[in-house]
Amino acid sequence: MFFLFDKLRHLFSAGRPPLPVVGGQPHPARLVFDKFRRVLAANNRSLEIIADMGEKLSGHFIFDQHYIETTAAELIQAVRHSIDCLQELCNGQFQELYDVHARLSDQICSLLEGREDRIGPTLLNLRQATPEHWAIVGGKNAHLAEMTANSTVTVPEGFVITTCMYHALVDHNELRALLDSFESRLADLKSTDIELEMLAKQLNAGILSASAPPGFLDEMAEHLQRLLDGAQVPIFLAIRSSAQEEDLDYSFAGQFQSILGVAPRSDLVFKAYLEVVASLFGPKALQYRRRLFPGEGKMSIAACCQRMIDAEISGIVHSVNPAEPGGRTMIIAGAWGQGEMVVEGMSPTDTFHLLNEEEPTIIKRIITEKPLGRFLSPLGQLTTQAIDPEQRSRPCLTDDQLLALARVARHLENFFKRPQDIEWAFDRTGDLYILQSRPLVLRQEAETRKTLPAALKGYEILAAGRGLIAQQGIGVGPVHLVDLHDSLDDFPEGAVLVSRRDSSQFVRVMHRTAAIITEVGTPVSHMATLCREMQVPCLVNVTGIADLVKEGEEITLDAEDLLIYRGRVTELLAYRASTTLNVSESREFRLLRRLLNHTARLHLLDPLWDDFAPKNCRTFHDILRFVHETAVIKLVSIGKDDHRLLRRHLARPLDLPIPAGILAIDIGGGLAETAPETAVPFRDVTSVPFKAILRGMLFPGVWHRATMPVGFKDLMNSMLRTPGDALNGQYIGHNIAVISANYVNLSFRFGYHFNLIDAHCDSFSRDNHIYFRFLGGATDLTKRSRRAQLIAIILKAFDFTVRTKGDLVIGRLGNIPQSEIERMLDILGRLIGFTRQIDVLMENDLAAERYAEAFLNGMYEVISN
Amino acid sequence: MTVNDSNRPCRLLIIDDEPIVGKRLQQVFTKIGFEVEIFTSGPPALESMAKHPFDIVVTDLKMAGMDGIEVLARVRAMNPEARVIIITGYAQPETASDAFERGVFEFIVKPFRLDQLKDVIIRAMADRELCRSRLNQDR
Repeated sequence: MFFLFDKLRHLFSAGRPPLPVVGGQPHPARLVFDKFRRVLAANNRSLEIIADMGEKLSGHFIFDQHYIETTAAELIQAVRHSIDCLQELCNGQFQELYDVHARLSDQICSLLEGREDRIGPTLLNLRQATPEHWAIVGGKNAHLAEMTANSTVTVPEGFVITTCMYHALVDHNELRALLDSFESRLADLKSTDIELEMLAKQLNAGILSASAPPGFLDEMAEHLQRLLDGAQVPIFLAIRSSAQEEDLDYSFAGQFQSILGVAPRSDLVFKAYLEVVASLFGPKALQYRRRLFPGEGKMSIAACCQRMIDAEISGIVHSVNPAEPGGRTMIIAGAWGQGEMVVEGMSPTDTFHLLNEEEPTIIKRIITEKPLGRFLSPLGQLTTQAIDPEQRSRPCLTDDQLLALARVARHLENFFKRPQDIEWAFDRTGDLYILQSRPLVLRQEAETRKTLPAALKGYEILAAGRGLIAQQGIGVGPVHLVDLHDSLDDFPEGAVLVSRRDSSQFVRVMHRTAAIITEVGTPVSHMATLCREMQVPCLVNVTGIADLVKEGEEITLDAEDLLIYRGRVTELLAYRASTTLNVSESREFRLLRRLLNHTARLHLLDPLWDDFAPKNCRTFHDILRFVHETAVIKLVSIGKDDHRLLRRHLARPLDLPIPAGILAIDIGGGLAETAPETAVPFRDVTSVPFKAILRGMLFPGVWHRATMPVGFKDLMNSMLRTPGDALNGQYIGHNIAVISANYVNLSFRFGYHFNLIDAHCDSFSRDNHIYFRFLGGATDLTKRSRRAQLIAIILKAFDFTVRTKGDLVIGRLGNIPQSEIERMLDILGRLIGFTRQIDVLMENDLAAERYAEAFLNGMYEVISN
Repeated sequence: MTVNDSNRPCRLLIIDDEPIVGKRLQQVFTKIGFEVEIFTSGPPALESMAKHPFDIVVTDLKMAGMDGIEVLARVRAMNPEARVIIITGYAQPETASDAFERGVFEFIVKPFRLDQLKDVIIRAMADRELCRSRLNQDR
């Protein structure tokens, strides 16, 4: 397969193709339409590939490495084709896009060749680590970073020395040839232990005596200073490993070295780091790798440098009692001092059983005599100290501390969507820190598994075989029925969210939900994508479910076999806790996820945002967005030449009952064949999305005709500003609709504001999108901003993803069925009419809310009244 | 539990050189009551089959050494009652028609949805039972 990427690399590394010869004459309009259509088709193809990859992450598909490789290659070529089409349309104006494409393609090839752990910063604060960094921070650090970003838990602050540093270290110390030879031997099943051990020993020694690449120690000193800046007392660091697969598929428990009590000095931390890295080639790790990854040679290692907690009490929580995997009991074990005593089983511990419910209760305490504890000395050493006699047999945790721990464990179980094995510590001031949280994998006897199908027959099924899987998984909890306009602020921890519609707003509670079930929706909606990112078991399109369940009753969702049970199915939970293969963490899923990070994320939003330039494209989706917007601007710009278009009947004025003044440019199937060349009536509009917007605009009461009372200040404002300032004159001219049977790009200029809708609408939900933009107005900025607020409130109520900046509002919605897109465009049509002059009425902040509410309640006449 | 006519769990053999495929299918089909064995190459899988027959065989097409078509031929020779399903990421019409001529039950293109494979396996089980009962009637 790799030859394929070599070929692709070769093809694109050349970057820009030669500039096309640009003629003096502008393209005839027909030709421009044709080229524009080609841009649209090319972009749709690319977006389809991206959507297809996203859908595969639901867990409901079987795919393999071959799929990932061929799809990536296909996408690289499709995006390139999109750029080619844009260049055709714009006479080669955007050569820079080829460089961006080559760079992104190269990153993708590196990713597929397993070299993505070399791309990125060498040092990264835990707070800055995001999913795009998972490959370079390693599994354990990824979990720590996720928890750092979660406000419910506190993680000791720290930074990551990434795998990029590991590679830099190897190269700087000329160890690459040795490492390559070691890795290729390790990948060869026939290699003997002796030859491997010899090479490993050399590498181990080479790493231990390695010098730091230039500049690295200084850079690390800055990170250390930042830790010191926030500290009240002298601090010491713990330097721990985080290998790529660590804590994901495999625990690597105790396989690598950890160095504790390191003073925060660059040279000392570096020395400790070398010891951690060298342990990758230690005898223990070598045997572990050979046993668990036969035939795999490559592995890189990152490290975490974290402040050590001066712990008074430490221990472990198992969010599920391993003795009863499907039950509600969790176990907390703790002892005085640092956690080592508990983790390594070095001393007796207290054990507590708690009922895992919304308000946890303590049901059992086993208190032991704890004569010793490990404590952090003022010099950073860990020393074993005798515990005061009267303290020894006292419970190490108070009831309040136990309940606080139980709540955090319950939250982390919901957050990571699996039972968790959590390391924690209370420091001397009583603050609770989470040191580690990893999946708790339980053993289940093969015999118990065989009886699962029989055991499941004993439960009442609420729905079977209904709905579509957005994300696989098993979840249990009390039902919480959510209406789309409900506030989610009081969503109960661990509940199952049941709703009539799907909504990307649910992201706000996804870290707390056990599962999501909706009556309508598709597996490719934004919500579904978010469920996959956050691993929330989710079924959509389960007709009638909201009427089948009662608020607060416990249900179990099996989003693998499309089953919803009444009550708590303990056998399924036991099954979930015992499955060792967490498919979303498997190598192929991780690879596909990373590929999507490089392709599907959208950073470039709008030409009106400052960063809208080829050089700022960070993903393929950004390129596609740039291509689309630029093509639209090009097309609309020919609308400026009204005479040319009107004379040849390429742009036809609409004849509507309202004075909207729209020129329609039909690029195929947007108007009836029999439509007149001038004054096209509403009935002759055949473009599905355009017709929906017009329907909204023509809705009774929406197009108010009252003259707004414009004040003196507003008048001055409108006279001082020219619309061209705001948009560099791009949209001066008529209101223009570029339409086809399934597409509309409508740009409006009403007085002093600009309104744009770009939408695609057909029977294939995945292709559907609405892009809405609103800017400007005749009044002062405060009033205009209030109108922008009003529009934002309305768009959000209809589940648009919204961004605002001053008087600019951008709303996006996509991947929803045709009927929904049409309904939303109808609403937008009404919104266009409703908000036309409303900025004049925005006297205070409350006005935005009041008028938004009126609109949502259908009281459009409020403006005229 | 998914059982066959003699009321024992249905035995499913899965061969795919990419371990994730076998691991995932084992997880899914064990949960609904199948007895599943997985292999990443043909020869050891057939060895296991010789010891203890399988009802359904799901095999990848393109594998180093013994490919899916050869697995199909050998399974058909060893145990004509077993139904063979080929899954592949390299779909060529000629290969599919070749496989059908050699008696494959179904040919599925990767990536596929799990319920697609479930449906095919249920059909294969039904087909196998139907052939058996006809055979018994004829006797």
